[in-house]
Amino acid sequence: MLGKVLSLLGFPDDIRRMNFRQMMYQGLNFAMIVSSALMIWKGLMVVTASESPIVVVLSGSMEPAFHRGDLLFLTNYEKDPITAGEIVVFKVEGRDIPIVHRVIKVHQGDADDNTSVKFLTKGDNNNVDDRGLYAHGQVWLTRKDVVGRARGYVPYIGIVTIIMNEYPQLKFTVLALLALFVLFNRE
Amino acid sequence: MEEDPPTINKWDGNAVKNALDDATKSVMMNHICSKECFRLIDGRLIISSLAVGFSLFALAYDYLFPFPLSRSVLMLCVVCYFVMSAILTWHTSVVEKGTFATVLKEDPSHIDPSDVWSASSNIKRFDTVYHLTLTYKCGKTKQVKESSAALPIEKYFDVNGKLLYDRVSREVLKLRDSIINKMN
Repeated sequence: MLGKVLSLLGFPDDIRRMNFRQMMYQGLNFAMIVSSALMIWKGLMVVTASESPIVVVLSGSMEPAFHRGDLLFLTNYEKDPITAGEIVVFKVEGRDIPIVHRVIKVHQGDADDNTSVKFLTKGDNNNVDDRGLYAHGQVWLTRKDVVGRARGYVPYIGIVTIIMNEYPQLKFTVLALLALFVLFNRE
Repeated sequence: MEEDPPTINKWDGNAVKNALDDATKSVMMNHICSKECFRLIDGRLIISSLAVGFSLFALAYDYLFPFPLSRSVLMLCVVCYFVMSAILTWHTSVVEKGTFATVLKEDPSHIDPSDVWSASSNIKRFDTVYHLTLTYKCGKTKQVKESSAALPIEKYFDVNGKLLYDRVSREVLKLRDSIINKMN
């Protein structure tokens, strides 16, 4: 019965001949592929101690060091002190978008306590420091605003992410096609 | 399948293997015994489900208790997930070994355990030979008998890619008969 329904809907013969268990396995196979990607991401989060171990540079405010579309690899180890000249990725409270700028001033705070440090950032390609970007009333960033420190990068690859976010239909189409391909490709 | 053999794309190795596997299974169910044993595929389903379960748990926990708090749970789930993936790979390559069908022939007097007939196959990439192996395990004596055939796929599909079920049936029954002869 199910076979007849599927053939009416135009599914290929391979799929129609599958029994229930095989169909379940196709579904689980797809779930495992998604889970693998998810587990690799979570694993990276644990290893780098950063909530977002890989970010894409979204603006040209750090040119010529980083350009829009560059992919950055971050780490966020507590014991590494934040020093002036370092490139950090931070999130302003209340906003989701990570910002990639350089630390230009550091207030050390307590000598033994890395978490009491306050710092000011500025994009290399900007004329003014980032105080205008911080939350209302905030003039310094603290350790908890930092998502991570840039440790390495790959140029250009992040453009794909930027395009997918600017054209959500494209994102859904690509994901849907991938899903259909995995679900309906037997073995 | 006996009444309506499928028509497939002859140039797609995967489709050819699936069609021949399904035909072999159909012959076994019709001529040997119609009771299929799902132990192998159930094993695969359980392992995959556990793996996906770990990953969903990690996702949910991280959503409820955002990152730095969920660190140890995430670490545990990631390790468990990859261990389950490794177990799945072991199960597919060592335990299953290409077996796609297992049927159980029950003892008519219901005293001895069932005899197990299983079929496994493989086609090398870009090759045109379908290697089929039929294995028989006696429920009572635990003896194992095996019979293999290397079948050129062009003999089992017509010009349009329609499976020639009768020919496949003959080959499978030939293998079955050769095993029965070995037993005597």
